[in-house]
Amino acid sequence: MTLPLLSLIVFLPAAGAAVLMFLRNDDAVRWIALGFTLLDFALAVAMLVGFDTTTHEMQFTETRPWVPALGITYALGVDGISALFVFLSALLGWICVLASWAAIDRKVKEFMVSLLSMQALMLGVFCALDLFLFYVFWEAMLIPMYLIIGVWGGEGRVYAAFKFFLYTLAGSLLFLVGVIVLYFQGGQTFDILALTARDLPFHVQSWLFFAFLIAFAVKVPMVPVHTWLPDAHVQAPTAGSIILAGVLLKMGAYGFLRFSLPMLPDASLYYSTLMLALSALAIVYGGFLALAQDDLKKLVAYSSISHMGFVTLGIFALNLRGLEGGILQMFNHGVTTGALFLFVGLIYERTHTRSIADYGGLMKVAPVYTAFLALFTLSSMALPGTNSFVGELLVLTGGFAASPAFGAAAVLGALLGAAYLLGMYRKVALGPADARARFKIHDVNGRELVAILPLAVFVLWVGLYPKPFLGIIDASVKHLLVQVHGNGSSP
Amino acid sequence: MTAAALLQSVLASLPEILVVSGACILLIAGQFVRKGQEDLLVWASVAVVLIATLSTLMLAGEARPAYAGMFVADRFAAFFKCVFYLATVLTFLLSRKYADIEGIGSSEYYVLLLFALTGMMIMASATDLLSIFVGLELMVLCTYVLTGFLRRERRSNEAALKYVILGAVSTGIFLYGVSLVYGLTGTTQLDGMARAVTEDPLDPALLLAVVFIVAGLVFKVGAVPFHMWVPDVYEGAPTTVTAFMSVGPKAAGFAVILRVFLNPLVQASDAWIIVALIAVATMAVGSFVALVQDNFKRLLAYSSIAHAGFAIFGVVAGGADGIASVMLYLLIYAFMNLGIFAAVIMMRNGDFSGEVIDDYAGFGKSHSGLALLMLIYLFSLAGIPPTAGFFAKFYVLTALVERGFVVLAVIAVLLSAVAAYFYIRVVMVIYMREPQRVFEPALTPLVRATLAVTALGTIGIGLFPAWFLGLAQQSVFGG
Repeated sequence: MTLPLLSLIVFLPAAGAAVLMFLRNDDAVRWIALGFTLLDFALAVAMLVGFDTTTHEMQFTETRPWVPALGITYALGVDGISALFVFLSALLGWICVLASWAAIDRKVKEFMVSLLSMQALMLGVFCALDLFLFYVFWEAMLIPMYLIIGVWGGEGRVYAAFKFFLYTLAGSLLFLVGVIVLYFQGGQTFDILALTARDLPFHVQSWLFFAFLIAFAVKVPMVPVHTWLPDAHVQAPTAGSIILAGVLLKMGAYGFLRFSLPMLPDASLYYSTLMLALSALAIVYGGFLALAQDDLKKLVAYSSISHMGFVTLGIFALNLRGLEGGILQMFNHGVTTGALFLFVGLIYERTHTRSIADYGGLMKVAPVYTAFLALFTLSSMALPGTNSFVGELLVLTGGFAASPAFGAAAVLGALLGAAYLLGMYRKVALGPADARARFKIHDVNGRELVAILPLAVFVLWVGLYPKPFLGIIDASVKHLLVQVHGNGSSP
Repeated sequence: MTAAALLQSVLASLPEILVVSGACILLIAGQFVRKGQEDLLVWASVAVVLIATLSTLMLAGEARPAYAGMFVADRFAAFFKCVFYLATVLTFLLSRKYADIEGIGSSEYYVLLLFALTGMMIMASATDLLSIFVGLELMVLCTYVLTGFLRRERRSNEAALKYVILGAVSTGIFLYGVSLVYGLTGTTQLDGMARAVTEDPLDPALLLAVVFIVAGLVFKVGAVPFHMWVPDVYEGAPTTVTAFMSVGPKAAGFAVILRVFLNPLVQASDAWIIVALIAVATMAVGSFVALVQDNFKRLLAYSSIAHAGFAIFGVVAGGADGIASVMLYLLIYAFMNLGIFAAVIMMRNGDFSGEVIDDYAGFGKSHSGLALLMLIYLFSLAGIPPTAGFFAKFYVLTALVERGFVVLAVIAVLLSAVAAYFYIRVVMVIYMREPQRVFEPALTPLVRATLAVTALGTIGIGLFPAWFLGLAQQSVFGG
């Protein structure tokens, strides 16, 4: 009997949450939460070290019966795609704890419990190999996230929390019916791998495709079901925004990769043009919306919609470059946008305003802050040498191969990205230092630097040497393409 | 009836006989219990139920028909009886302190609950329309009185009166259906009806009879269009009685509905279309009207209507899985609903009623443990995993999809998304508002025990549903 590494990774934060419930001292709560998330991160690194990149098979698998009467098992396992996101979730876990260190000053214990439960559930989503188990993790996330936004958020938090909850719930419940239909169509099993091997008739695939699409599109979010995102992001506390942008949005795209593409290949191919169109729409529309924002957090939130459009564009290009780019871009977006939300949070803690017009000349007041901000801004607009460049380039080449028109639209989106991000940076960081007159701004402290540095490392690492990251997902992506296109015709 | 058959019948109905005897003894002995010794009443009542539970479990092995085919003690009945025992015992535990606060702590209160329990048990075991009627009347007569137990409160009196009048009408409708069945088939036994119907399956008069019977039963579970009494009665009755009624009598109603619907007579009559309409309408009314409630008890009343609607979807699905899904749903509902009612009852202390949702503002701040429990019950009622409420809904949906009713499943989930709104609104009030007052929940050890049992059930069945699922599935056959 080997060590159940994935179970450990998934349930360690939950155990941490349970331990926290018995503590009374806020500082102890912070340190122990940090300890658990760091340990979890170490386990995730260990998992990645032991990961075999030459195969697309599921690794570190565990299977136990759960509800045998309905064919439900407790099954965990990771392939290249999920391993990358297990790592990302574990990384952002302790960064979130650091980001909330001073920002959360009331009900610290409850916050950390929610945060750690959230992390356990997110890791569970990426590890689950049983559709029922996946759904349980997927849906249970609503509870802590609802609390994180609703209890510790800004002034409009209650409205934002409700909107988040109901949007996601409505989408997920249709997904649930789809899951049950799939269960009966696929021979009364919830085993994801077994269901992937089934060949479903096209009309069933079509219905399921749209049932799944609603759930995943809400999470991604794709236009036109994106309206919960700006509210949720703006109202959520910093750690909540990081989780939302860094991991939660990835789950929709992960759903496409894990379910829609391999289980419903015919429908995915048939409706890929529709999906490309929706993606291009999100890229351009999100870009224009971001251009018009005067609130820092809103700007980053709308840029998320645009960037996630790149992800879905890459995925539904359904070729090797597109898919690899899309997945890499998911990782990049988690790092970069997570960092940008962290930066907005850091400055908001100091000034209590997010309005871009209130800022100016920060470079003179907080040079370290603005230097890193520059790095992440450039990364977000995909400057060569940063992580997003690699991802977006792959997506664009894949996208052009699939459809030149939508590829061109995506390029327009990239241009818009440069416009709103540079504009934002200019207004905030450059110019006369008139912000100093109004706020007492100090530069980043050591704790904040610890949270920022790893993200900066990944920006440059992926940007300069993306091979290890592409290596992790390579075998799985190639296998996915075979599943979608059949054995004969791989592009 | 020979002596041996009589002995068999007595043995099969031993739990009922025990509870009735216990209730009668308590009725007399209760007069000698002095003020301040009401604990004795609670423990004696609990003991009666526990003895009955033991005898039920001992008899649960095989199906025992009794009283010339009017009654049967089988696994199906045993499952429901266990739900009733659970509901009754927890109600007893909750009642002790509450009865003191409201001044209703007389022995009659406990005795009436025991008689109501007997009625529910007879309903679960009845296999003849007449024995169903006897059980039904025994149960509802007790609940009429219990509803009006707060004698000095207008609300309570009004609720009781409303309940009696509407209940009498529905009983009349039910009896009329029974008489039609008797006229058409010459028997009131469910089996006999089944035999009669195989000869002439498409008699429109039979359909009419079924509609009457269904209408009478639907009233008892509080489904649309016979739901009007539910909010008023739930609001007016003592909260402990409301908790009891929302679980016990409702489950008993479903036991009868399932028994009748197992019957080929109904299966042949295409009555499922009516039932499907009732299910959709019930869920819709319950969910949408609950959105605008400010009173917590009324909100829970509409929530219980919505849940009845969801359970009726299981009836629509039919078949072994459909029936098992309803049974599991009711068991899980018993845990989570008694849990949330325990929280409401615990808030009733001094001059504080805890009946208005806004009363709970900021409760999470001062009592984080109790607030967490309420959060669990509420999310379970909303059907969010990993709580038991999710598994209950999941299994009903599975049964629906298995029978090909995908559209109904979609309607069911969309309506439960609507229902989720008002549950999380309560969570919002508890966690996201500032406290207006100091809370002093009436936390006796008995209330704590109730909260512990219900929380354990709500979380435990959610995480490890396999055993309970197996129990429900096994209990279907034999019915």
